[in-house]
Amino acid sequence: MNDLELFPYPKNRLQKTDLDLAASLQDLVQKEIVDKRLELKEDYRGLLEPNLNKLLVEVGLQRMFWPEKLGGEEHNGPEAAYTVAAALEQVGRADTGLAYLAAHNLALQASLAMRENLNQEACGRFAPLFCDGRGPVIVSFVLPVFGEDEKAPAWRGKSFQVRARAASGSWVLNGKGVRPTCSGADAHLFGAWCAVEGEEQPAFILVPGDAPGLSRGPEFKKTGLAASRNADLDLSGVEVPAENCLFRGDLEYRRLLSWFYLGVSAAAVGGLLAAYQILKEWGDNRVIKGTGNVFKENPLTGALMGEIAQDISMSRLLAYDLAGMLADPTTFGDAGSDMVYTAALMIVHHVLATAERALHRTMELMASAGYAKEWQLERYWRDLKTVQCYVGSHELAKHDFARWFYGARTL
Amino acid sequence: MRGIDVFSRPLEYLTPLGEQVGEIIREWVENEVIPYRRRFDEDYLEHRLILPPFKKLLGEYGIQRILFPEDLGGWGLGHSDYLCVAAFRMFEEIARADSGMAVAFGVVFWPLVLICCEPHVNRRLCEEFAPMFTGTTEPVFSCLAMTEPQGGSDIENVEVLKGSTIRTTAVQDGDEWVINGHKLWPTNTGGVADLMAVVCTTNPGSRNPDDIAIIFVPCDRPGVTQGPAYEKAGMAADKNGDIWFENVRVPLWYRACGPGDDAKYYGEVVSLGNMGSIAFAVGVMLNIYEKLQEYANRKVYRGLPLKENDAVAGVLADFATTIEAVRIIGYQCARMCDRQDLYGPRWSPEIVARARAHRYFAADRALEAIGKVMNLMECFGPDRDWDVEKHWRDIKMVQLWLGGKQLSQMEVARWFFECETL
Amino acid sequence: MRTIDDFTRPLEYISPMDGLLGSIFRDWVEKEVMPYRRQFDEDYRDHRLIHPPFKKLLGEYGLQRMIFPEDLGGWGMGRSNYMCTAAFRMFEEIARADTGMALAFGALFWPFLFIALEPHENRRLLEEFAPMFCETTEPVFAALCMTEPQGGSDIENIEIVKGSTIRTTAVLDGDEWVINGHKLWPSNTGGLARLMAVVCTTNPGSDDPRDIAVIYVTSDTPGVTQGPPYEKAGMAADMNSDVWFENVRVPSWYRACGPGDDAKYFGEIMSTGNMGIIAWISGAMMNIYERLTEFVNRKKYRGLPLKENDAVAGVLADFAANIEAIRIVGYQCARMCDRHDLYGPLWDPGLVAKMRAQRYLAMDRFIEVTGRVMNLMECFGTDRDWDVEKHWRDLKILQLVEGSKQLCQIETARWFYECRTL
Repeated sequence: MNDLELFPYPKNRLQKTDLDLAASLQDLVQKEIVDKRLELKEDYRGLLEPNLNKLLVEVGLQRMFWPEKLGGEEHNGPEAAYTVAAALEQVGRADTGLAYLAAHNLALQASLAMRENLNQEACGRFAPLFCDGRGPVIVSFVLPVFGEDEKAPAWRGKSFQVRARAASGSWVLNGKGVRPTCSGADAHLFGAWCAVEGEEQPAFILVPGDAPGLSRGPEFKKTGLAASRNADLDLSGVEVPAENCLFRGDLEYRRLLSWFYLGVSAAAVGGLLAAYQILKEWGDNRVIKGTGNVFKENPLTGALMGEIAQDISMSRLLAYDLAGMLADPTTFGDAGSDMVYTAALMIVHHVLATAERALHRTMELMASAGYAKEWQLERYWRDLKTVQCYVGSHELAKHDFARWFYGARTL
Repeated sequence: MRGIDVFSRPLEYLTPLGEQVGEIIREWVENEVIPYRRRFDEDYLEHRLILPPFKKLLGEYGIQRILFPEDLGGWGLGHSDYLCVAAFRMFEEIARADSGMAVAFGVVFWPLVLICCEPHVNRRLCEEFAPMFTGTTEPVFSCLAMTEPQGGSDIENVEVLKGSTIRTTAVQDGDEWVINGHKLWPTNTGGVADLMAVVCTTNPGSRNPDDIAIIFVPCDRPGVTQGPAYEKAGMAADKNGDIWFENVRVPLWYRACGPGDDAKYYGEVVSLGNMGSIAFAVGVMLNIYEKLQEYANRKVYRGLPLKENDAVAGVLADFATTIEAVRIIGYQCARMCDRQDLYGPRWSPEIVARARAHRYFAADRALEAIGKVMNLMECFGPDRDWDVEKHWRDIKMVQLWLGGKQLSQMEVARWFFECETL
Repeated sequence: MRTIDDFTRPLEYISPMDGLLGSIFRDWVEKEVMPYRRQFDEDYRDHRLIHPPFKKLLGEYGLQRMIFPEDLGGWGMGRSNYMCTAAFRMFEEIARADTGMALAFGALFWPFLFIALEPHENRRLLEEFAPMFCETTEPVFAALCMTEPQGGSDIENIEIVKGSTIRTTAVLDGDEWVINGHKLWPSNTGGLARLMAVVCTTNPGSDDPRDIAVIYVTSDTPGVTQGPPYEKAGMAADMNSDVWFENVRVPSWYRACGPGDDAKYFGEIMSTGNMGIIAWISGAMMNIYERLTEFVNRKKYRGLPLKENDAVAGVLADFAANIEAIRIVGYQCARMCDRHDLYGPLWDPGLVAKMRAQRYLAMDRFIEVTGRVMNLMECFGTDRDWDVEKHWRDLKILQLVEGSKQLCQIETARWFYECRTL
């Protein structure tokens, strides 16, 4: 049996095409990433960028939602949520950072090209970029952050990083020291949730990476996520066509985030599955207390391994639960509804916190092999913690939970 | 703004010398380490940036001499009853900048403890090796070679395995030892070490503690080969590598304490290693406190500094509380190791178990608290320029060495619950 | 077999009375409390079983006298510089049997901190109340009335609300205070208290600390009514009830320290109260350790005592490591409360914050590791005959007295990060 099948998930809900995609991705990433990473480590040019191309362009993840007539695959019903989960899990297993990038791309597609809310105009403008086969489109978001700028207008207490002004037929964007959610150095498209001057309602505006007035700072060093070469941005008078504003409402914004959190959750589950495989390989022939006692047969270390497997299983089930909610809006409501959004936020935080704990424990079992780069475990630990930080502060997320469950109004 | 000195220490335990050296190290850290540390990760192989500050601290200030007796050019700390408390302060101060450096620094003294401390001072070996450390202003490093390929740090599980899994052999040939074997992971290897203490067996497979030998080997002896430094998740200043011993010959009297005593005093190495690990965790947390203060003051949420938000304050409080607790426990552990007249010998299974308990408690608490702080800082948590992530990566390693958490748990259970077969 | 005395204490901190008090208490606990404690839960209202051991300890052994000056028949502990360290030991010993008794015992001395400690000894009030406690062999209880219906323990949040939410009023009428109000939850009420210290305001709504008054009221003064004891999840020995004050008149010199000072020295209650909670946690954990040791020795798994299983040993080790940590931290707290010459005054906001921090950390640790021990013991974990569940219930209650965890966090953050608006 495929060892990933050991961990329960609602296989009955997945289409054959989803399972086939997962199986082919599993083979692909094994050959192209897992088998090469000891040699190539986390090299961006040598390992990550070529594979981003393979995944997004050759496998076609970046064409998934777009209408067929525009070159996409028009897999754009809500059931695509399962496809996202099944695919990003596999990618995340090979490199959590690549899956994190793909989660951005897929979330943007879902927000523009979903069957029920198809944005014809925007699809017409942006689908070609994703479907022309010329290369991966790295999508990044610029979201309000926690306490960045005292004078910036706030969204639920978080500061907007970019301010937009409506001009005739265009938007003019400004922001200094803006920190995107990924790939500030590489992204082709930034989706920014901006404060709008003189108006209450924010706007989600797409900014091409080559827009005049957009400058990128140097790539900065961070804990993990080598696939996301991040850099701060400056936007000074960046002008984009009025149509680049994709939406203004909270509902659409939360819809985007719900899909994003699904992708991130699946990516994290992938990282956990990788940790499982590494630990398994290591634990199969590791001895403790002298010869003859295999690690996994020891009551304490065996129990800890069991606990890690439990954490992985629960995370996987939760991620697929989220997919199930997004896949069935008639039962659960719109992906951007308070309920589904809150569930998505809870699940992504829960999965990431569980992932942190499980990775810590895996490292504890593997001791020096846990932190030596040679065993490849520590990159998942760093990647998952980094993703957790980028998804946001758990403390603030809890306020969103309290808003929904207890009707808190001023948090 | 409150500085790091507001955190509690047992004031009655402090020593003038430790405090004085602590101040010197704080200044050294500010001038020689903090300005460069963000580039240390990439310097793991070469130590181009890491070696110069070490030269100043160890060689020029002469801190590498502290353990040796005064008449041999040292500072006589090995004879004192305040070595550990003084070391705790020094470790904290260095780890505040870089716990990898603190580890490398601490390990310089680790093997020397076996020959420089009462009641097992080996005067002849002190005389032999003191000049190497005291007669130079270049930094001199030592290492303690324990871990082997087959059992990992299982070899440190002396109480259970009694050395039976050690595969590095020392065979007596006339008035020399002939050493053969392969060690992994010692701090200060990867070409750095000048002197090694090697844990060997004089009778492979034996469970008799008399057969465990700790033998000193100067690294320039024929047959000693150090491999290149490993690439790790952090701790670039702490170089680790493979060491191979191929028919390495040293005089018989290079054995640290002798049959039985080598195994016995090995417990001391474990106690002190655990005590030091707590100091590293404290130093790291003190620096994170500084960075976190800056962050929580500078960043604004709903018109007020972040720290004024109750939800944030909860995380801040947990972090300060963890520092308080871990620091107090660490100083008590150091005092326990110093005042053997009150607490018993520090090589005893009892003190080893206590020190292990204190250390793994401290590491668990530190990691949990730092993890929460990083998450609070969102995208700046994993940002190298905020320094927190570096400490987080480093301190994870502190938790994992010396046998890792599970071995510590077994030793603690064995002592406190008198388990016999664990 | 290892005993509870094998856990680390900072030996240099031990008070001169430690050995004597320790043996008196342990003996009393074994003979007078342990045999009966499993029936205490149902005795919460009548104290038929709880009262006799208190009579012995407080009245016959005379422990209720200890804080008063020697010339007034007391033991002079209020003036010593080891009161808290000695109290820590006593608290641990009692809490080992029953945390409720430990709390009732500790709370008895609370009101006297205002008048029996240097530098604010109130000689006139000591003379007034000493005979009540020192000239009898019956147990005499005192209570400190703080909490009120509207704000819960928010009233203890003096730094922020500065007494503005206190609704119990004291109005000066000639040379008498006239007190009106309603208090909830004081330890040792429900008819037990003979003397109360009441936290009132002399100017309702004012946030001027000078308007906070701590005034003594003997329970037999007309207008004082104690309700019946509440039924709680545990802690039967700690009786709590409503107390009503209706035009209660006491002499004007019954105010503890005077305007400003009453509020200031309130910090002492917080410091010592939090220190005491750590001692109670430590004591309860000692007993759980004993019970757990018995359990894992007696129960078998695959032919060996449970403790010989590595997975079980992991839980055991965590429990022992947490006792070590909590006890060390607790004794350091006690020392900091004792040695004002080194650590500053007992009412200092920094000290209060540190004590609060350590107390909530200790409680969090207790709840986590005890929860795991109970789970390990399966159905015996919740079995009254194994005593663990009782400690778990009792301490959960203790977590919630003197301000919740959140209040502790806020106070900790306020001091360590200089938050101004929390």
